[in-house]
Amino acid sequence: MRPMSAVRWLVKCGLSAVVLLLACGLATAWFGNGLQLPSTTTRDGTLITLNRYAKEPIPDVVLVGSSLTFRLKEEYFATPMVRNLALAGGSPVTGLEIVANQPRLPRIILVEANILSRPADTALVERYSTRGNNAEPLFFRPIRTAIAAYENWHHAPLCHAQASLALRQLLERPPSNFDNRVYADRALQQLNAEDPTIAAKLNARRIAQLVLALEQRGARVLLFELPYSEQIEGSRSAEVTREIVRAAIPDQNGWLHIDSTRSELRWADGVHLDERSAVIVAQSIDRALSPLLGHGNGLKEQIGQLPE
Amino acid sequence: MTFTSWQFGIFVGIIFGAYYLPRFRTFQIQLLVIASLFFYGYGQPELLPLLAIAVLGTYLFLILALRNRTIWLPIGIVFNLMLLACFKYKFLFIESSSPDLTGVAPINFLLKLPLPIGISFFVFHNISLLVDLTRRKATPPDLTRVFLYIIFFPQLVSGPITRAEMFMPQIKPKYFSDVPFVEAARWILTGFFFKVYVANNLNEMTSYMDFPLYETLQTQDRWLLVFLYSYQIYADFFGYSAIAIGLALLFGYRLPVNFNLPYTSASFSEFWTRWHISLSSWLRTYLYVPLGGNRRGELRTYLNLMIVMGLGGLWHGAGLSYLMWGLMHGLLLVIERPFLERLTSIDSAVFRATRISFIFVCVSILWIFFKLPNFDHAVSYLSGMFTPSTNPNPPKLFYNLALLYSLPVMIQHFAFRSFFERKLYNLEPYLYGAMAALMYLEAGPETSFIYFQF
Repeated sequence: MRPMSAVRWLVKCGLSAVVLLLACGLATAWFGNGLQLPSTTTRDGTLITLNRYAKEPIPDVVLVGSSLTFRLKEEYFATPMVRNLALAGGSPVTGLEIVANQPRLPRIILVEANILSRPADTALVERYSTRGNNAEPLFFRPIRTAIAAYENWHHAPLCHAQASLALRQLLERPPSNFDNRVYADRALQQLNAEDPTIAAKLNARRIAQLVLALEQRGARVLLFELPYSEQIEGSRSAEVTREIVRAAIPDQNGWLHIDSTRSELRWADGVHLDERSAVIVAQSIDRALSPLLGHGNGLKEQIGQLPE
Repeated sequence: MTFTSWQFGIFVGIIFGAYYLPRFRTFQIQLLVIASLFFYGYGQPELLPLLAIAVLGTYLFLILALRNRTIWLPIGIVFNLMLLACFKYKFLFIESSSPDLTGVAPINFLLKLPLPIGISFFVFHNISLLVDLTRRKATPPDLTRVFLYIIFFPQLVSGPITRAEMFMPQIKPKYFSDVPFVEAARWILTGFFFKVYVANNLNEMTSYMDFPLYETLQTQDRWLLVFLYSYQIYADFFGYSAIAIGLALLFGYRLPVNFNLPYTSASFSEFWTRWHISLSSWLRTYLYVPLGGNRRGELRTYLNLMIVMGLGGLWHGAGLSYLMWGLMHGLLLVIERPFLERLTSIDSAVFRATRISFIFVCVSILWIFFKLPNFDHAVSYLSGMFTPSTNPNPPKLFYNLALLYSLPVMIQHFAFRSFFERKLYNLEPYLYGAMAALMYLEAGPETSFIYFQF
């Protein structure tokens, strides 16, 4: 075999790299970046949701929050056009800032008030600040796109109607008897150790400012507290946060009240709702939202069909 | 400055451009020394004096040991080991959080200095220099050459650990026409591809192995992640070593190959001739053989193996997990040693495949102690691999993504090399081009090289 000259080798190598890049660039220009890439981390999942929010029509209802709200999947809601922008490991202020920076607003914005100890992610806010202005990558990721195509074909995301049978079966089951004592004790220890006062005051103040600005633009903004277990409810962090946020937004009309039976709820890791509990809470939010959205009996019946 | 940063690309481009200019030919060594100092000081300028002290001290002891090896060689080695101990193992003896560690301000300042990047590697270079050059009673090299050997930037931070007797003879004028561009390109592209495509993408998944995230995993996912981490740590360190070898070739130096398909090993002793070869051969030459190696009977051999592997574990970090990792490898070497000859004599492909799988599983499980340096966390992860998970909401891992990101390691290890070399020879440049494009398109989130922490 005749050895190839170094120049020929390098030119061939460079050309094939360029051709592949061009092919991916052209494919991106042709098909766009619309395909939902699978997430390997919760952060990835968040970016996917934020991308969808930036690209798709404005929904009626948007939820912003932390990993607690992240558990409320969109297909759990009977209310149509609900988008959950909660950030696992993030602050509700980040989502609220992103929504506030868009030119058009949803009718109702729900803001989780449980976790206010984290600062807003300014890089993320900046990235998604202007609708349609977020930088599109020049090239799509071939491996992830292939996997995304397979996953979308094989496990397409469900809407509420498609998921309702599975949700009904889930709700018919008794609450989980998973023994979470180890996790709950550890979570309690952490929540008692942290003092969220400074961060929570800053975040609560910022939320109050944003609520005012958003309501002046015609949106209805409501805060809500996701239920904790009794043990966590009494933790130092939870109590301090509640006191601060209630002082910042004292008007009861600015709050969405979630009425779910606490005995039915479970927190697998001590803090986050398990799947069945997340569905129950999503139903409660549906019920609370129904009069605000002016939905007729259809939606009420739909919510009512699911056993609580 | 990491190999995967754009600053490093510019840095290499400038140095390479200047290096082969005829007017710089007589200053090539000096240029590489200055470049290496810049490379090191870019991240930790406050530690440049320490690097200088290590090199100058070693040089001084080298000159003295060339006159009287019996006295000055041990002192030179102790000087280097003290440097390592001072920075790497100090917190085994003192409380790191205490504001006033010793009551003496200058010593406090020294103790508070961060761990110098690459100290484990350049200290081993120093010892190799002292031993090799005094053993053959060489004429004292000039200081610039010693500097170059110890701080040559491609190998400074994470090796390969090059022995002085291999590197020093290579220090001579270099010519552009002698640069093996294709070979260098192969190493560099493969290295970046393994780091950026394989290791960085797998790192996203194996981050679920961290505490407390692993507690939410299903049992089968704990197993999967252990194997993925096994691929990740290989891709990460092999990638670094490959880039280092390729870069060194661009400047006319040949560094030792650090990996030789370690996951095809059919025994633990074979594994250590294929994994981090430069470290294992260093430990063999400068520790195992001086301890007596296998020349003083079976029991002493076993003890030597345990000592060498235990110290090899501690070399990676001052922690119980690293020590356990080393000792467990030592124990496995001891256990297999009496049966090795009989096992090797069985000529069966199925049996060999079974042995390879067994070694891979054991080695992978032991990587848990690397991933989780907190010993309690490592044991907790390990025990969870053998008990059914009860978490009703485990995280979802995409198995198909895991497979596609691990595939290069599998292909490299198990594809028929002769087939690639014969049938795909003409396609080779296209394959490397595709790898270059893919590592750009499909790059995982930036993470530092795992071995930087050692």
